[in-house]
This record gives sequence, structure tokens and C-alpha cells, in this order.
Amino acid sequence: MSSVGIVFRKEIREILRDRRTLIAIALAVLATPTVLFVISQVSTRTATQTYTVGYSGDIPAGLDVLFGATGLRLERVDDPAAAAKRQVDIGIVFTPAGIDEYYDPTRQSAQIADIRVQTILAKYDAAKIAASLQQKGVDPSILNPLPVNVHPLSSPVKAAGNSFLSFFLPYILITMSLTGGLSAALDTSAGERERRTLESLLLTPAPRSHVLVGKILAVSVISLTAALAAIASMLVALSQIQFGGREGSAFPVDLSPLAAIVMIWLAVLLAASFSSVTIALGTLARNFRQGQAYATPLYFITIFPASIVLFIPDFNPSLAYYLIPILNAVLVLRDAIVHSAVAWSSLIVTSASLLLLGALCFYAALRLFTREALLIRS
Amino acid sequence: MTDPAVKVDRLEKTLQTNKVLRGISFEAAAGEIFGLLGPNGAGKTTTLRVICTLLAPDAGSVGVLGHDTRMAPQEVRRRVGVVTAEFGVYPRLTARENIAYFAELSGVMDGELNRKVDAVIERLDMSSFARQRAESLSSGQKQKVAIARAIVHDPPVLMFDEPTSNLDVLASREIREFMVESKGRGKCVIFSTHVLHDAERLCDRITIIHQGRVVANGKTEEVRGKYRDLEDAFLSLVEAAT
Repeated sequence: MSSVGIVFRKEIREILRDRRTLIAIALAVLATPTVLFVISQVSTRTATQTYTVGYSGDIPAGLDVLFGATGLRLERVDDPAAAAKRQVDIGIVFTPAGIDEYYDPTRQSAQIADIRVQTILAKYDAAKIAASLQQKGVDPSILNPLPVNVHPLSSPVKAAGNSFLSFFLPYILITMSLTGGLSAALDTSAGERERRTLESLLLTPAPRSHVLVGKILAVSVISLTAALAAIASMLVALSQIQFGGREGSAFPVDLSPLAAIVMIWLAVLLAASFSSVTIALGTLARNFRQGQAYATPLYFITIFPASIVLFIPDFNPSLAYYLIPILNAVLVLRDAIVHSAVAWSSLIVTSASLLLLGALCFYAALRLFTREALLIRS
Repeated sequence: MTDPAVKVDRLEKTLQTNKVLRGISFEAAAGEIFGLLGPNGAGKTTTLRVICTLLAPDAGSVGVLGHDTRMAPQEVRRRVGVVTAEFGVYPRLTARENIAYFAELSGVMDGELNRKVDAVIERLDMSSFARQRAESLSSGQKQKVAIARAIVHDPPVLMFDEPTSNLDVLASREIREFMVESKGRGKCVIFSTHVLHDAERLCDRITIIHQGRVVANGKTEEVRGKYRDLEDAFLSLVEAAT
């Protein structure tokens, strides 16, 4: 077996016996379904919850039925404005001249109740106007002189699901590619110094570049496993958990074959690059804790590009943007998920950029690994 | 003396801004224990690190069994085993896995791996803890693992850098016995220490270095000369060189 294989096998064996790494991967696998479950519970509760309307005066005929059908419970109170501060979610005073509505915008329940009341009142008004016009022999369609017929070219529900995925999937892929193997990377670099095994390792005839490649491969495999396991658990969770509580409200989360292939390819590139970076940083550090301190800025560096799709959903950059590592992976993955298509030019530039990043990081790690200062500092 | 196993010639080395070695020269032969003595900071560890190719010389040369450390570092590493006071081991690997890992990296082939690892485990009387994880071993047991991994590829040159400084009396005696046994097997044993009592008992020849220079070199009894013991000789030589 080559030196690379010997080091790889030993590192994998050690990593699999390291509780820190195993716990990190297990948490990554469990965290996403847990968060999604909590979100689904909250959204279900919000969608099915009944809000209380405190009112005074006489309710127009038929309006009470609409309130009941929309999850609004009517409760007669003496002073709706006062009651809307605490006692009920929204206050309404029915007068012959119209309606006075009182609500506290700082309360989320009041905001939701307000939206429901506005919707009901709009429908009630439209129905009343249409009935009056018909009584007078006027076609009610006169109120809608430019009718619009919407023809979605794909399922709006599926589009919502893709939009959700286009943010979460790159985010999880990137953060897990970094954090999934971080502990292993620091253990195999800074840890060698901390437990005083580095000198013995460098005394073997194995070329240092082979030793380094073996370590990077092992950490890459762990990062990749963590990232793909977290994504698989997210996809399973999304397919099982109902959002909104009513039938037909689950996200359709079918990842197209193209998106899956692109995702795996990018995951491989990211895992290799991040492994090289973290091992290089770990090689600089005297111990595990110092390595963690060095690696902390990486979280911010990676999370910002991963979040760009959330803040600028319609970001359509030129090809030059695909040269920026991590951001390019996010953009390519977004295109693959949302449009089920990837421009070859974008994919090639992205791959070249990430490969170059990985090569530079490997070179830096190798330079650090072969410096005499590495031993002197030990 | 026959052809030297290790030949150090006018070796110079500066670490950062500190000139640690200032023209060190000595030769060590197969079948002898060669003592490298000196006070702390004299340059003993740096000398050993240059011999085993961890550091490159700034000037001068080092040859191990005819291989220059600059020109053929990997050939040198194949022929050298090093034991230091810092016996770091991989805690999540068993003692046997630790040894096998270094054996494989040192070029021991698959076919003879198990035989060689088993042989060194038996030689160092490690069978009772060979399958325990290293994290659960005592200091003496870890030191045995460190020795085993250094000798599992059967190198002709063995270097011991303050090997007993972290060990108790029993474990220290086992190390000394191992060095004597290795000498009997025809190995070139280089023993770096500041424990002069050990050096006087074990070494056939010694070199004393102080502030990066050789202040005495020769057979142990020659260096001791007129003095009562090696310690007196050492103190006198170092004082004179300061």
C-alpha cells in the first residue's frame, strides 16, 4: 500500500474512534430535521389558530358567518379599543357609518388577525357591491374592467419548494463541508503537535506530500459524509413534515438528477478545499484550541456567500462572479435547483475556481508541513 | 575504527537567530554506544535532528551509512530509528496499531508486517498491553511503544535523545538494557544525555559539546582521564570552555 493509503486508513480509523467528530456528524444529521419539525409545528399552529375579535355595535348580516369560517371568534366587549391591547387580538366597533378597527402592531397575533379581517371585509364589500349592481340591472363585471387570467408555467407550490431548497441546500452543503471535518482536520494537524507525534511521523521515509495527501483525503471523506448525510436528512424531513397544517401544504422536495449530480460534484470540491484550508491552519497552530481559534473566521467567510440567495433572491451575476469561491458554488447550485439547468460555462468556471483554491491551499499546507519552523515551534 | 555508521563533519546550524551548532564533528560506529553529552542547550538535540534529517545543516555535512542527509534524506530515514523523551503516541490506536502504522510508513512490506510487529512486541515484552488503546497505557508502556515503532523496521542506527528523563527507575533500567542489547546486535547506538552516570556506564566513546562546540571527544575512559569520574571531567571541561 502506498504512503497515502497508509496515512488515509490510519486517519479514518482514528477519526471513527473520535467521539467529537462522530457527535458533530450526528448532530448535523439530527439538527436540520429538528429545526424543520419545529418550524412546521409553529406554521401549523399559526395557520389553524383561532383569533379573538372583540367587538361592539351591530354586526352586518352575514359577516358573522364569514368571521367564523376564517378562524376569527367574535366576542362582545364594552370597549374594543381597550380590549385590543390585551384581552383580545383585535377590536372592532361596528357603527352605521362603517367600522373602526383597533389592533396593536407589536403583537404578531394582532397582525395575523388584522390580515384576516381585511380579507373578509374586502370579500364582503365586493359581494355587497355586486349584489347591489345586479339589483339595478348592472353587470358586476364592470367593477373589473381588465380581468387577468394567470397561467403559471410550473407549479407554484413546487416553485416555493425549490426556492426554499435553493437557500437551505447550499447553506447546509457549505457549512457542513466546513464544520463536518473541522474537528478531524485540527486533530490530524494541530493534534499531531499537541500529542508530540509529529516528529516521529516526519522521521519516517514516507514523503511529506504523501502524508499530507493522506490526511486531506481522510478529512475530505469525513466532510463529504457529514454534508451529504445532513442534506439527505433534510430532504427526508422535508418530504415527511407537513407545513401549514392543512392538506396539500407539504413542500415538494424532489431534487432533480442534474441538481443531485451538481451538488455531489460541488460537495467533493468544497470538502477537498476546506480540508486543505483547515489542515493548513491546524498546522500553523500549536494545539487543538489554537487551531479552533484560527478556523473561527472561516465560519463567517463561508456563511456570507451562502446567505446571499436569501438576501438577493434574484441575483443574476455575470460569469466573473463565478470566479469567487463558495459564492460560485451557491449560485450554480441555486440554478440547478430552481431552474433544473446549469450553464456549462458557469459550472466550468466554478469548478476551475474551486480546484485552484484547493490546489493553493494544498500548496500552502505542504509548505507549512515541510518547514523547519514547524518542528522548532513544537 | 571501521567505516563510521554516522559521520558528522563540521556541522553548523542556526535556529532563528541563535547559532546552535558551531562546527560539530564526530563519528559513531556500528556495534558501539556513542554518547553525546552536554549541558542543556548545548546543541545535542539539534545535532540529532540534523542527523535524522528533520533539520538541514547550514554548513558541514552528515553521512549515515554512506548516505548524505541532504542528498538522500529518505535513505537516511530508512536506516535510522529515533527515541526521544517525548513519547507521543496516537491515543485512539492500540499499541500494536501504533507500531504497525510506523512499520508500514517505514517500508515494511505487507507480507512481513505482522511478523515484524509481533517480533518487536515480544522483544520488548509488550504482549500484555499490545491490544490496548494507547490512551490507557502508563508512561513506561507508552515509552515501549515509542521504542517499538522506532526499531520495528530494524534500522542499523538507533538514536536515543534523553530517553529516560520522563521515566521511573524500572523503566529507565529497561531502556538502558535495551541499548546494550542493541549494541550487541551490531547496531550503532547514539545516546544523548546529561545523566553522566548513565553515560559512563554505557558508552564506549563520547563527545562532549558545549555552546555548539565539541570540547572533548574520544573513548570514555580517555575523556574521564585523570578525574575521579566523568562528572568531574565534564564539569572541568565545560568550565574551561566557557
